Amino acid sequence: MTQSNRHASGGRIDRGQPLRFAFNGKSYEGFEGDTLASALVANGVRVTARSFKYHRPRGIVGHGPEEPATLVELEGEDASGNRPATTIPLREGLRARSVNCWPSPEFDLGGVNQLLGRFIPAGFYYKTFKWPNWHLFEPSIRKAAGLAAAPNNPPSSGHFEARHAHTDVLIAGAGPAGLQAALEAGRAGKRVFLADEGTEAGGSLLNRNLTINGQPAMGWVDDAVQELREMTNVTHLQKATVWAYREHNLLIVNERNPEQDRIIERSWRVRAGEVIIATGATERAMVFSNNDRPGVMLASSVQAYVNRWGVTPGKRLVLFTNNNSVYAVASDLVATGIRVEAILDSRATVPQATLDMVPGLSVHASTVVGDVRGRKGVKAAKAVSATGVESWIECDVLAHSGGWNPTVHLWSQSRSSLQFDERLAAFLPDQAAQNCTAIGAAAGHLALDQIIEGGEDLAYEIEPLWRVDLPDQRGKAFLDIQNDVSVSDVHLALREGYDNVEHVKRYTTGGMGIDQGKTGNINIIGTVAMQKGVPLQEVGTTTFRSPYTPVSFGAIGGLREGSVLFPYRHTPVTQWNEDNGAVMYEAGARWRRPGYFPDQGEGLQEAVNRECRAVREGVGVYDGSPLGTFELKGRDVPQFLDFVYSNVMSSLTPGNGRYGLMLSDDGLILDDGVVFRLDDHRWLVSTSTGHADAMNQHMEKLLQTEFPDWQVMITTVTSQWNNATICGPRARDVMQALGTDIDLSPEAFPFMSFRDGTVAGFPARVVRVSFTGELSFEVNVAPRHMAALWDKVLEAGEPFGILPVGSESSHVLRVEKGFLSLGHEVDGTADAYDLGMGWVMSKKKTDYLGKRSILLRREGASTRRELVGILPDDPNKQVPEGAPLTPGGRKEATEGLVTACVWSVVNDRWVGLALLQGGHGRHGETAHVRLKDEVIPVKITKPVFHDPDGNLLRS
Amino acid sequence: MSYDVEIVRQGLNALFDLKGKPAAIQSWAGDVLPTWPERPNSRSGQDAVELYHIGRNHWIARAALDQEVKLGEHLRPTDCPADISIVQVSDTLTFFRVTGPHADEVMSIACPLDFHETEFSEDAVTYSELFSLKALVMRCKGGFEFAVEQSFGDMVEDYLSRATA
Repeated sequence: MTQSNRHASGGRIDRGQPLRFAFNGKSYEGFEGDTLASALVANGVRVTARSFKYHRPRGIVGHGPEEPATLVELEGEDASGNRPATTIPLREGLRARSVNCWPSPEFDLGGVNQLLGRFIPAGFYYKTFKWPNWHLFEPSIRKAAGLAAAPNNPPSSGHFEARHAHTDVLIAGAGPAGLQAALEAGRAGKRVFLADEGTEAGGSLLNRNLTINGQPAMGWVDDAVQELREMTNVTHLQKATVWAYREHNLLIVNERNPEQDRIIERSWRVRAGEVIIATGATERAMVFSNNDRPGVMLASSVQAYVNRWGVTPGKRLVLFTNNNSVYAVASDLVATGIRVEAILDSRATVPQATLDMVPGLSVHASTVVGDVRGRKGVKAAKAVSATGVESWIECDVLAHSGGWNPTVHLWSQSRSSLQFDERLAAFLPDQAAQNCTAIGAAAGHLALDQIIEGGEDLAYEIEPLWRVDLPDQRGKAFLDIQNDVSVSDVHLALREGYDNVEHVKRYTTGGMGIDQGKTGNINIIGTVAMQKGVPLQEVGTTTFRSPYTPVSFGAIGGLREGSVLFPYRHTPVTQWNEDNGAVMYEAGARWRRPGYFPDQGEGLQEAVNRECRAVREGVGVYDGSPLGTFELKGRDVPQFLDFVYSNVMSSLTPGNGRYGLMLSDDGLILDDGVVFRLDDHRWLVSTSTGHADAMNQHMEKLLQTEFPDWQVMITTVTSQWNNATICGPRARDVMQALGTDIDLSPEAFPFMSFRDGTVAGFPARVVRVSFTGELSFEVNVAPRHMAALWDKVLEAGEPFGILPVGSESSHVLRVEKGFLSLGHEVDGTADAYDLGMGWVMSKKKTDYLGKRSILLRREGASTRRELVGILPDDPNKQVPEGAPLTPGGRKEATEGLVTACVWSVVNDRWVGLALLQGGHGRHGETAHVRLKDEVIPVKITKPVFHDPDGNLLRS
Repeated sequence: MSYDVEIVRQGLNALFDLKGKPAAIQSWAGDVLPTWPERPNSRSGQDAVELYHIGRNHWIARAALDQEVKLGEHLRPTDCPADISIVQVSDTLTFFRVTGPHADEVMSIACPLDFHETEFSEDAVTYSELFSLKALVMRCKGGFEFAVEQSFGDMVEDYLSRATA
């Protein structure tokens, strides 16, 4: 088939650039400047789709984003789903196929649904699949649901981009009104951002034969575009849809293929001082029996195909209208030599000016279309006069116009209000909620002379017809073509009590989907109003939500894919870890840390056992750099720390430190860490890795809101200090081997103190804290020295069998000691007493954050979940972390949960921690872990399995 | 590279975080620091030491790394009085420089700030967001300079290479 419907000349296409493309496996030809839809029309392809629910044959209805019927899936390098064929620019090699049909739209097995139509009205699945259980049907319904599948692979070339922009004026739409506004703002020296969804500027002028001051209107457009191009203060984008209007005049624009080879789509986040909405108007459909047959098209779309793309959708046309605009369409068709069989106008009186445009044509006033014949393509339309006279008119295209809706989506998204206008029978912009203005057709000015001085156009007049309502009507009359929502569906919803327009939408799905009801919503509202006998203003509209047209996830995500999908942080040792085979993953606050260091052939458990044994029996080293670290300065730091920590910090002397808990307002544990006093007015606070930023905000918030007069200055120094923590019985040997001017003896350098000096030749601050329960030296240096220090530590430690230790082993070692972990034992419900840490709750201080709450709670009689150790009766039995404990292992309410369970190399068995109701008083008893298939008995113990007196860490 | 820009990940700078009343800092620091910036989110510089006014009673002094020891000796962070805070933070920030004809386009991908010359002047410096990270942003000759927390340096480099691929 070779473009049998293509005109020999005319249209805004380049006949010198033929393009080959494939649709449903067949090869066709179009031209540069075509859309997929116009090329299909040119090639005489009538059945292009099947409907969503009933699988009725469908053809192309519109010519732009309003297209409700022909959704396609693109294949190959364009792979994407559910794209309206009217919005896809044709290119060489394009491959597309229809969605929602198999094997083809011409012959679709799903068409059997048409026979079941009467049994599957709106809402049938809500009622039908309740019994015996929704979940019985859910898998198969989910499998059948949806249209095209998401592409299996990312685009083979190019990438998505998201960028920000700022402008004085954003103008959505480069039709006559938008261009005029851009010229005025640009000439005034404002920063202008003009975005239009079409491939070229002009809006409706591209489709119509209008004049301005006697000259072709497109000449005016060309001049305007040229003038804008010369203004450095104007950004003018085509193929760029303003799809979202957010708070504070933030608008999001999706620009397609800004640079063909490199950027697939670019998302602009534009902050505008002022927004001008010049989005034009959308023609709406007429509602009559079988108004979805292939060949039933919007009149303005027929006009667009003829004028813009030089194709004729049919040879014999009938037009059906309730307004003037169809007469200009008929005039253009006649001028092109297309046969117009009749114009059926539902109005009793047709204005003379419109009749003058179509001399010689057969115009039938007070006449509607009662039915359409032709299952896979229109063959005839039934004209029914007001007196009931019926006649079939043979035709192959029925072009219809139910009037025009100002495209108020962005206006409404801005939360600005709408008002129904009786004269235009449409909702118009009313009160602006943000600094925005609607102009042109979007504001209800539907004729060119209302927009551009010198513009010549037919006046717009309409008598609304929300649906054709005839006695003995047969065949479905669709309100929403895309979702197969008919008049009877809306009537059913109303009968069942869903009479709010939002409920009607959800019950019927009318107005949902890819097109968001651009051609049909108003008819649903009209049908509801007719049925309820109320004005349309009272029915109102459903909420307009973004996106205005579909937007790919790629455009929203921008560059965020692959390695930068999530943020990540490195320490200077990250590269060494990766080079040495560490299994890396995120370990809080976006730090990528080594989980464990497997030797060749080793699994996780073997590697962790080896690392733990090194720490318990020899020496290990881990990179502790990610711990949150803050330097606090000021005279009021002591009282501030006494307030944010539950124990006393102010009594610390320079050089010494103390472990403490930060509590929340409700007395629960927020974070734990160590505080060191550097000198009289300088303090160092360390927090957990994952909560570092939150703790910084917590402290700043308190200072700025509760204690603005206190002199406390906080500086984040997490990344000013990195540390290699050397831990294990041989740690002191390794420190000596490294070389240091610090006296490492336990007497001179006791536990919970720090010393400044040099280690391995680097300026260092060495801290004696322990998160493993072993003798530890935390060697802090500037990051610029960290990689070199790490190498030296491993070199110095080699004679002692030093091993690098990952976070998995750190977890094991802390469980053996019963040290708490945020997210495990600290689960947002536990307080310090629950964890057996009453010693950290000061009895001396008059107040500290959370004190009142915790005292109130402790005065209550409720039994608390308390931290205990657990030993499975079978020492080789692992208990899953998070597993519930129930009384006797029975199917009853839980009495606790397992917070951790690890293989302990020093105990040669599995050991665990749990939060258990009344746990402190149940040591020696047996508790039961209840799993899906078994019950595991565990002995309740103290929550410490190694060096209970802490002699090793103080050694 | 699709955008005509040069991207340089810089080495360390000498950085000192200064907090407190300007008069108190000035009194302690003497003439080692340049004239104080006239307004918030602006900078001043003299003798290779720049001063960024980045918050209420909050500044960053920046110099070349080889000035670090000298600047530290002048500022004496560990000895300064209780009412001011001076902390050496040289290692906390990784600086990038994006220069060239398309520098503003690359920055618009990274950062939501309005970089128009009327909104972001030559002496502007401010904390903002860059690839969703907290970042210190300013102009430099032929483009822009910004700094992120050091541990995010590799990720930002990754992002920039993707943006300009």
